[in-house]
Amino acid sequence: MALPQTALALVALVAFATLLGLGWRWQNGRGRATSGIHSVSAVEVGTPLGRRATLLQFSSELCAPCRSTHAVLASLAADSHDVVHVDVDVATSEALTRRFNVLQTPTTLVLDHRGVVRARIGGGARPDEVRARIAALTLAEERS
Amino acid sequence: MTSQRPEVDPRGPRFGAGITAVLLLVVVALALGTAGDPPQTVAARAAEPAFVLLTVLAALFAWGAFAGIARHPYAWLFRRFVRPRLAPPAELENAAPPTFAQGVGLAVSVAGLILHLAGVPYGLVGAASAAFVAAFLNAVFAYCLGCQFYLLLVRARVLRLG
Repeated sequence: MALPQTALALVALVAFATLLGLGWRWQNGRGRATSGIHSVSAVEVGTPLGRRATLLQFSSELCAPCRSTHAVLASLAADSHDVVHVDVDVATSEALTRRFNVLQTPTTLVLDHRGVVRARIGGGARPDEVRARIAALTLAEERS
Repeated sequence: MTSQRPEVDPRGPRFGAGITAVLLLVVVALALGTAGDPPQTVAARAAEPAFVLLTVLAALFAWGAFAGIARHPYAWLFRRFVRPRLAPPAELENAAPPTFAQGVGLAVSVAGLILHLAGVPYGLVGAASAAFVAAFLNAVFAYCLGCQFYLLLVRARVLRLG
């Protein structure tokens, strides 16, 4: 391959990797509302659900951002009596992992007081994002 | 901090991934010359600069995967020359994820080497490019692609058990 073509191929490869990284960074930690047809019971998560919200975190052993997400969610739960944080390992919680098709860790599901899945956050959780999801949830409950 | 769960400064593996990414890009550049039309004999293919450099990188991946990321030569470079110039780390991370990712890098590199020895056109370029993307994402965006494979492996086992 001629030199200009080689240079072009290398630039294309670096550009491709950069776009991948920017795309990942854009979606990482961003929550999306879910259809509200799936729910999780207190028995399945192994603890009573929060009166306002339950933050169901899926983690894996080899996952550095899971630890920071755990810290973020645990502190949010500690700040509010109505919010519960549950951290499950994908290797041991097979049924939940399969049901919600968890393909990246951490993944966080925001459940309302009945255990209905209201939002899903893929990647490292951002405190503001989680707070907004919990706040939106509260408003929805008040409206109904 | 126990010996079972060693912890590392997360910037160490990223520094190493940066060096690896640059070297993998060199491999791709060297390999592109004959990628479409590999030399006729196995010996000639094994003597190509791209093959030699990727073999060295595979050995470095093996070092990281088997000795642990903290004992990798790049980790030593980081501790000796880079870390003294940086502020203390905000947090330490488990050494297991980046160590596992070294194993993924090893597997991809070895696959590229085997494909090249077998005379598969663009086999080495493809593997080195994939490894480059992973190392680049790790270095620049702190995204551990290798760690995602761990999850997929766990999932595969989960699915088989189910």
